[in-house]
Amino acid sequence: MKRRDFVRTLVSFLVAGKAAFSQQRVSDPTLPPPAPVPWFTGLNSRTPIPATELADHVATAELTFFTPMQMGTLTRLSDVLMPPLNGKPGAVKAQTPMFLDFLVGSAPEPRQKIYSGGLDWLEQSAQAKYKTGFAQLDDNEAGELIKPWLRTWMNDHAPIEPHADFINIAHDDIRSATVNSKTWGEVPSVGAEPSTEVDIYWLPIEPDIYGMNPAYAHTPPHVLANPKGGQKMPVYSR
Amino acid sequence: MTITNEIHDVLIIGSGHSGGMAAKSLTEAGIRCLMLNAGPVADITRDAERLSASDLPYRGFRPPGHVEHIAQANEFNANVWVDDQEVPYTIEPDHPYSWVRVRLFGGRSLFWSRQSFRLSDYEFKCKSHDGFGEDWPISHADLAPYYSRVERIFRVAGALDGPPQMPDGAFILDDDPWTPSMQRFVDAATPRNIPVCKQRRALGVNGLASSVNLLLPDAEQTGNLTSIANAVVREITVDKNTGLPNGCNFVDRITRREMSVKARVVVLAAGTLESTRLLLNSGLANSSGVLGRYLTDQIYGAGVVASVPEARNRKGEKLMGGSAIVPRFRNISAKSDKFLRGYAFNTTSMTGGLGARNFAAYGAELEKKLEEYYGSGFVMTIMGEVLGRYENHVRIDKDKVDAWDIPVLHIDTKYTDNEYNMAKDAVAIGSELCEAAGFEVLSKNDVPNPPGYSIHEIGTCRMGDDPKKSVLNKWNQSHDHKNLFVVDGASFTSGGWQNPTMTLLSLSMRSSEYLANEMNKGNL
Repeated sequence: MKRRDFVRTLVSFLVAGKAAFSQQRVSDPTLPPPAPVPWFTGLNSRTPIPATELADHVATAELTFFTPMQMGTLTRLSDVLMPPLNGKPGAVKAQTPMFLDFLVGSAPEPRQKIYSGGLDWLEQSAQAKYKTGFAQLDDNEAGELIKPWLRTWMNDHAPIEPHADFINIAHDDIRSATVNSKTWGEVPSVGAEPSTEVDIYWLPIEPDIYGMNPAYAHTPPHVLANPKGGQKMPVYSR
Repeated sequence: MTITNEIHDVLIIGSGHSGGMAAKSLTEAGIRCLMLNAGPVADITRDAERLSASDLPYRGFRPPGHVEHIAQANEFNANVWVDDQEVPYTIEPDHPYSWVRVRLFGGRSLFWSRQSFRLSDYEFKCKSHDGFGEDWPISHADLAPYYSRVERIFRVAGALDGPPQMPDGAFILDDDPWTPSMQRFVDAATPRNIPVCKQRRALGVNGLASSVNLLLPDAEQTGNLTSIANAVVREITVDKNTGLPNGCNFVDRITRREMSVKARVVVLAAGTLESTRLLLNSGLANSSGVLGRYLTDQIYGAGVVASVPEARNRKGEKLMGGSAIVPRFRNISAKSDKFLRGYAFNTTSMTGGLGARNFAAYGAELEKKLEEYYGSGFVMTIMGEVLGRYENHVRIDKDKVDAWDIPVLHIDTKYTDNEYNMAKDAVAIGSELCEAAGFEVLSKNDVPNPPGYSIHEIGTCRMGDDPKKSVLNKWNQSHDHKNLFVVDGASFTSGGWQNPTMTLLSLSMRSSEYLANEMNKGNL
């Protein structure tokens, strides 16, 4: 018998003994009568688990970081960079602009500045060139402002020159947030179209300090390797 | 049962590759060991589940404000890393450092890329080759028998095609022919005296090559290993009469109960910088004054992404696939006057999609490019040696403590022109090779990621024959305290382009067998 199994067996005896002792105490006539059913004995491995939905899928939220003007610009930019194509939803239908308000709003300051500064610059550029806001530009007009700043890049090294940093980082974030949205995943991807990422999600790992959870008593310990080279999400140097 | 009054033969602090190997080697020699690990046991059946990013609140992005310094982190794996709010470290404002830690039982052996190389005498005897740094007190011949045994345990696959700078080993032979795209790359490299070899990787068992499945079960089988999880070691204790280490004080991570254990020998395997931090906080092993000095790692992040034109439009099925390692050739078969030492290329012929970052396009035009280039990618990324310098060091930050009131580490290190020039050279050569092979270069980057990114930090307890210039002797044994050993990457005298895992495993095995022999002879 392995040590872990031995310890579990040992403690199960201890727990059983303690339970028996507790029952004796409950029968003490000086104590109140016991409840019809002990409180914590009903749940078991066959207990159905209620289905829940991510709040993001069904609820709305207020703007917390971008100004209404910036959100208008980001929404138009998202639609231009990732429009609905070939039956797949675009960034706007995937609620990507509002998601980015949430994500960027809680991000470190350098990333916030890239977005705030970049959206303000796009708006000013639209006003200077077309005498109207970026949100009102058609695809060709918006493209005139965006295309000069598109760059290729690899690994975590986004362009660092002003304007190109914002355009390329925002493009990357808009794509990732859209591809990983529920809306995108509901339409099967065809050909080279990216699919919503599926991977092993690690819960907060706190020890089972008693080591006795019966749900795992007969499960052999096992850990799946997760090679660092397999990470796909964009990250940026601080 | 209480264990606190028992004097163990050996206390092993850390349970990753080096600690696991120490436990296996010592317990199989009949030595009773106590292993402490700072974090919990991970159980994937309890702690993880397969999910879609669309069911996560951050859609797979790394949760803001959480493990910001870890470039490898995302929402899926954010909980496996050491939280830098729980165990912080400090840096110089202009010298970023990514200290990537795992405190789960098994440490970083749970998560690694499995690349498995030996160091050669170009690394062990580096000063003899180019005059910089220090030679190790051992050579490849000293470590070769241990490398072979480690390679068999970890089931390393590879070909016996290594030049002198990449010694061959006890491999599961890879005799697959190159795919046509890889052959074109080989044909472009050969006239330039650049070797291209089959990749070398640990296959492990059941998809895992870790301390928890390849080392610790053997140690447990002997009945000589006792392990404690969530034991955050505060300091190594010292016998007042002999001045020798005799155990440690630790705090239980869950209950915050202060506890201690006793042992005749202490083996540090907490991971390079945690082992050094523990020695610094304990005031041990530093008569040389070089404890914490010569921190090094490898430059990552520079590289080239190309496309094989003939493989586009879904015509690459018979052309693409396979991977190669281009071992260091600079300052061996091809000299450089811009930098010392050299770098290797990881080279992959891709069969899947290319990332959108490789195209300066968006919308319908981008989707058309992604479809056209699907299955035609050819990627080269570098692993470059970082020179060991005295000024690149760690020390204790006396103004900051972690969640257990243990003083934290201050890390002060930076790359120099040697590393930056190396990265530029790699990208120039990589581009030249791709173009010579007829590939189209799509994107490239010649700026290394910040120090620490490779998760290959080594040095700070360097070994050497001279007690005035090194912390450990050739057996990973403290010059100052004969019953104190450091068996992890901290012991490296210098670095190399190679992933250090096979070397630190072999050093740990060699050191532990020496220790067991000395103990069984009554010398310790």
